[in-house]
Amino acid sequence: MAKERGRKGSLLEYVVMGVTVALLAVFSATVQGFASWGNLSVAASNSAALLILACGMGVVILSRGLDLSQVAAMVSGAATFGMLIAGGLPGWAAFGLAGLAMVGVGLLNGWLIAYAEIPAMLATLATAMVIAGAFRFGLLQGEFLLLPATDPTVRLLSADLVPGVGVPVVLAMAVFGLSWLLLRHTTAGRVTYAMGDNFAAARLSGLPVRTTTLLIYVYAALTALLAGLVSAAASGTVDFRSVTSGSLLFEVILVVVLGGIPLRGGRGGMRNILVGIVLVAVLRNGMTLLNLTTQVQDMLKGVVLIIAIVTDNYLNPRDTETDTVGDL
Amino acid sequence: MLNFNKWLLGLTLAASVAFGGAALAQSKTAGKKVIFVPITMGISLTEAWVKRMREHAELGGYTIDIKDAAFNTGVMSELLASAISEKPDVLVVHNPTVQLLARQIKQAEAEGIKVVQMNLQSNQPSTAFVGANWDRIGREIAEDIVKECGAGSGKSGKVAIIPGQLTAADSVIMNEAAFKVFAESPEIEVVSNQASDWDPEKARQITATVLQQNPDLCAIFGHWDVHTMGAGKAVQDAGLADQVLVYATGGGDDVACKAIEDGILDREWSYDADGQGRDAATMIDLILQGVATADGSMMVVDSPLKVIKAGDGYDASLCFKP
Repeated sequence: MAKERGRKGSLLEYVVMGVTVALLAVFSATVQGFASWGNLSVAASNSAALLILACGMGVVILSRGLDLSQVAAMVSGAATFGMLIAGGLPGWAAFGLAGLAMVGVGLLNGWLIAYAEIPAMLATLATAMVIAGAFRFGLLQGEFLLLPATDPTVRLLSADLVPGVGVPVVLAMAVFGLSWLLLRHTTAGRVTYAMGDNFAAARLSGLPVRTTTLLIYVYAALTALLAGLVSAAASGTVDFRSVTSGSLLFEVILVVVLGGIPLRGGRGGMRNILVGIVLVAVLRNGMTLLNLTTQVQDMLKGVVLIIAIVTDNYLNPRDTETDTVGDL
Repeated sequence: MLNFNKWLLGLTLAASVAFGGAALAQSKTAGKKVIFVPITMGISLTEAWVKRMREHAELGGYTIDIKDAAFNTGVMSELLASAISEKPDVLVVHNPTVQLLARQIKQAEAEGIKVVQMNLQSNQPSTAFVGANWDRIGREIAEDIVKECGAGSGKSGKVAIIPGQLTAADSVIMNEAAFKVFAESPEIEVVSNQASDWDPEKARQITATVLQQNPDLCAIFGHWDVHTMGAGKAVQDAGLADQVLVYATGGGDDVACKAIEDGILDREWSYDADGQGRDAATMIDLILQGVATADGSMMVVDSPLKVIKAGDGYDASLCFKP
């Protein structure tokens, strides 16, 4: 039974890969400038922050959780970092302090979910607003921050290691590798899977589900900080509008779900994130080259998500085993 | 001696007339209530306006309350509804789109509240509009692009436009005006017209992708300096800062000048937020004193523009310090 579900679960992955290959072929044949090394490099660096976020979100969703505060944490972390270096602190110290702030954010999320036992969706929906509000009005006292372009850390974060491969892409791959390692080869990683598979069973068998929940949300907040630094250094700005527009959070969930990690968790892994990010990167890049308006692009991404969720539901139907209390 | 007395008498008379005039104005404005509902605070544009409005409110003895929507359009309609229920004498609104607040502006005016629309107008006229003439800005920038990139320039004529939102008043009007100009210059080709949702990172990503397809791009027309800085960063990263002209519009604070000095923006059509703040404050003073047009039509204050250009004629004093 379990083996059969495993095979079925990975079917969505193959469907998505097939769609990606088809899109690649169509775009290469019809869109001028698509099939070039330069475009590939731009598509990769444009997706770096998204991949980092998706790694954090992937881990959360695998544990049958959800982190709607991730983009708020991302922008807040980047804003903290930006203000600290603007205040004259060296890059590493600013990074450390912003990291501490993010650990606090992750602990808050984890505590609400694990100890106050509030459903993840509601808890992080609330903390998203608390975090964005607190950092925007308490710390930044504004909406928008310009990073000092001459700062060595900012330069490093947006530099190219070798021509065409930037630090953001390398960082994203590093986070990807680390997430894979943590999930596959640490106790916390295995507990994450057990929680996603059957939370009640995991708790009743004495696994440390509460401390693991804390760790998971702290990890998500730290990936958010890294993603925030990458995208802030790329554009030279930190802007709270990515929180209010909501389209980035949507894309993160799109990547995770498209890749084949079901929202009820427990199945899949980092390989699925890779499948999802490639499709979203190709889709975004092709649609931008085709000069589709932002609204049409958002609509098409929504259509793709609906198809993926319906396919997922068809391939992984809910049954008495998987359909439990607290399900999304 | 007599002369001196006469002079003194004259001075006293003049002073009493002047102070009397001021006192008269204040007696008309004192104790009145003004509410401002901005799209968001925390950006130099609205902060600069509010600074001037507060100065005038203090002089005139009236109150000014800010209801900050923090970029949330849903919240904005609610804030406006609560502002209307407080029955202020003047309501200042900052429209995110041409349609969103139109019905509420009409309702406020019907209830006798004078509505001043600030910089971004809606489809619904009201007592007054204070702000930039977007049609003129769109036209002037487009004409400048035609001059730099069009026939005889030896350039490709390729232009990328980055609006904020396709339904925002400034984006709608500037695009209309610009496309009218471009239509008369067949050598200009608009290769991209994709909104950034006012987000600099999104503007950067769009620009980086567009530059791959069109490495010979000649100009970028960004509809607001804040998000256009992301586009400028993409141009700089691609090593094309010398070739691609980055145009923007904005309130012209010192951040804009810094961006021009850093080579991120090339030209900014500034509507001078500081000046606009004073225009708006003066308009509020006048409305509180009962000023209106004879036929009840909308009073309009058209913000004078300052064009800030990189290069030889660059003048940092065109920007204001918030």
